[in-house]
Amino acid sequence: MLRRAARARLAPFGAAVVVLASLVALAAPLVAPYDPLAQDLGATLAPPGRGHLLGTDNVGRDVLSRVIWGTRVSLLAGLVSVVLAVFAGSALGLVAGYCGGRVDGVVMRVMDAVLSFPPLVLALALGAVLGAGLTGVLLALGVVYTPTFARLMRGQVLSIAARDYVDAARALGAPAWRIAARHVVPNAINPIIVQASLSVAFAILAEASLSFLGLGIQPPQASWGSMINAGRGYLQQAPWIVFGPGAALFVTVVALNFVGDAVRDALDPRTRE
Amino acid sequence: MGRLVLRRLSATVPVLFLVTAGVFLLLHLTPGDPIDVMMAESVDATVKETLRRELGLDRPIHVQYAAWMGRLLQGDLGRSIRNGEPVIENVSRRLRPSLELAFFAMTISLLVAFPVGIVSAIRRNTAIDRAGATFALFGICMPNFLLALLLIFFFGVTLRWLPISGYTDPLEEPWNGVRSLALPAITLGLALAAVVTRTLRSSLLEALTEDYVRTARAKGLSEWRVIWGHVLKNALIPVVTVLGLQLGTLIGGAVITEYVFALPGVGRLVVDAVFARDYPLVQGVVLLIAVGFIVSNLVVDVLYGWIDPRIRSR
Repeated sequence: MLRRAARARLAPFGAAVVVLASLVALAAPLVAPYDPLAQDLGATLAPPGRGHLLGTDNVGRDVLSRVIWGTRVSLLAGLVSVVLAVFAGSALGLVAGYCGGRVDGVVMRVMDAVLSFPPLVLALALGAVLGAGLTGVLLALGVVYTPTFARLMRGQVLSIAARDYVDAARALGAPAWRIAARHVVPNAINPIIVQASLSVAFAILAEASLSFLGLGIQPPQASWGSMINAGRGYLQQAPWIVFGPGAALFVTVVALNFVGDAVRDALDPRTRE
Repeated sequence: MGRLVLRRLSATVPVLFLVTAGVFLLLHLTPGDPIDVMMAESVDATVKETLRRELGLDRPIHVQYAAWMGRLLQGDLGRSIRNGEPVIENVSRRLRPSLELAFFAMTISLLVAFPVGIVSAIRRNTAIDRAGATFALFGICMPNFLLALLLIFFFGVTLRWLPISGYTDPLEEPWNGVRSLALPAITLGLALAAVVTRTLRSSLLEALTEDYVRTARAKGLSEWRVIWGHVLKNALIPVVTVLGLQLGTLIGGAVITEYVFALPGVGRLVVDAVFARDYPLVQGVVLLIAVGFIVSNLVVDVLYGWIDPRIRSR
C-alpha cells in the first residue's frame, strides 16, 4: 500500500522532470545562457555564482550551458537507441514466433549470442569498430537492446497465435501479414511498451558511460558523460564540472525510472494488487 | 543433476559458435580498411602490407575465418599489434586485479544487502524499510563512474583516507592492497547491493506469507529463528537468479571502475585496446570475456538446480 502510494506521488514528479528535460533539450539554443563552446580564458574554473550558475570549466566554458546542450545528446541517445531496438527486436521476434521451426531457431540463437556478451563490453567493441561518433554508439546500443525485445515479442506471438480469434481469422482466409498486423501486434504491444519505457533510462546511462570512456559524441561538443570525464582531473579545484552534469544525469535517470514503473503499473496487470 | 549440466552444455555449443563468428566479423565491420584505421597514415606501406598478410586480410573471408577458427581451437587467440605478445598473455597478466576486485565487490554487496534486505522485510513499511528502498533506488540509478568520482571526492580528495588510483596486490602487501581496492570495490559493490537488497526484500516478504512460517510462529519460535531457520533459505533462489542476471552489468561496471581507478585489470585492457585500435587484442579479450560470461551463467544455472530440486527435473 505504502509503496503504491509513494509511487503515485513519485510518478508525477518523474513525469514533470522528463517533460522539463525534453523541453530543455528542444529549446537548448534558447535557454542556454552562453554558447556551450565559447571559451573565456579570463574566467576558468570559476565557482558557481551569479555570472555562471553552475560555474565554468577549465577553459572557461559555462557548465550550465553545456549541461543544457548535453540534455539533447542524452535524451536523443536514450530514445533513438531504444526505438531502433524496439523495431528491430519486434520484427525479429515476430518473424521467429510466426515462422517457427528453423527460422525461429536461427533467429533466437543469434539473439542468445548477442546476449552472451556483457552489454557494455559489446557496446564498447561495436562502438569502437563503427567509429567514435554518436551514430556508432546509437547503433551499438540498438544492437545491445534488440534481443530483449525479440524475446518478448516472440513469447507474445507464440501465446497469441494459439488463441481462438487468430484461428478464426485464419479460417476466414486472412493472409499472414494481415493477421500479424491486425491481431498479433496490437495484442502483443503492452509488454513491449513497458520494457521500452524502462529501457530508456538504461540506454541513457549506457550512452553516458560510453561517452565517459571516450566514445560517442566527440569534444568539444558537450555530452554529460564526456563532461564528467573531462572534469575528473579538476575534482579538487572545481568539483562543479563533474557534479553539474552528474546531477543532471542522476535526476534524469531517477525520473525515468519513476515513469517506467508507473507505465508498468498501468499496463501490466500482474503488478496490480 | 548430470542431465541438467549436459542439457545446458549442449545448448551452449551453437551459441559459442555464433559468438566466435560475431567476434571474428567485428574486425570487418570497420568502415574502410581496418589496417588504415589501426595504423597512422605515416606508417610505412610495407609495414602495413606485412600486417595485412599476417592477419590474413588479403585472403577471402571464409578462408580467413577457417584459419582463425583453426588457431582458436588450438588456443591461439592471436597477438596484440601494440606489444606483439599473445592475447592470452596480455589477459592472464591482468586477470588477478579483476578477480580480486570482483571478490571484494561481491563481499561488500552481500554484507550490505543481507542486513538491509532482511531488516526491510521484517520491519516492512517503517522508516527503516523506506530508507532501504531509497538506498536501493539510489544504487540502481547512480552511474558507476559518478559514484566512483563521488567516493574519490570524499574519501580521497577531501578526507584523504584512501588512495584514489593505482593498484597494490593484496596477496603481496595485504594492508596497502586492500586499501587500494577499497574504493573500486565499494563503487562496484554498491550497485549490486542495491539490486540484491530489492530482490531479497521482496522474496522474503513472499516467503513470509507461506504456511510453514505460520506453523513455525505457532510453535513459539522467535521471529529471528523463523527468518534464519525457515524463510531465508527459501528466499535465496530469486537472489541467485538476480546475481546471475547481474553478471553482465557487473562486468560492464568493472570495466568502468578499473578505468576510473587506473586498476590494471581486464576491463582496463579492453578500454585501452579499443582506444589503441588494437583490433586483434579487442577481438581476443572480448571473446574471452564473453566465454567467461557464458561459463558463469552456466554455473549459475547449475547452482540454481542444486538449490531447488524442482528445477532439475524440468
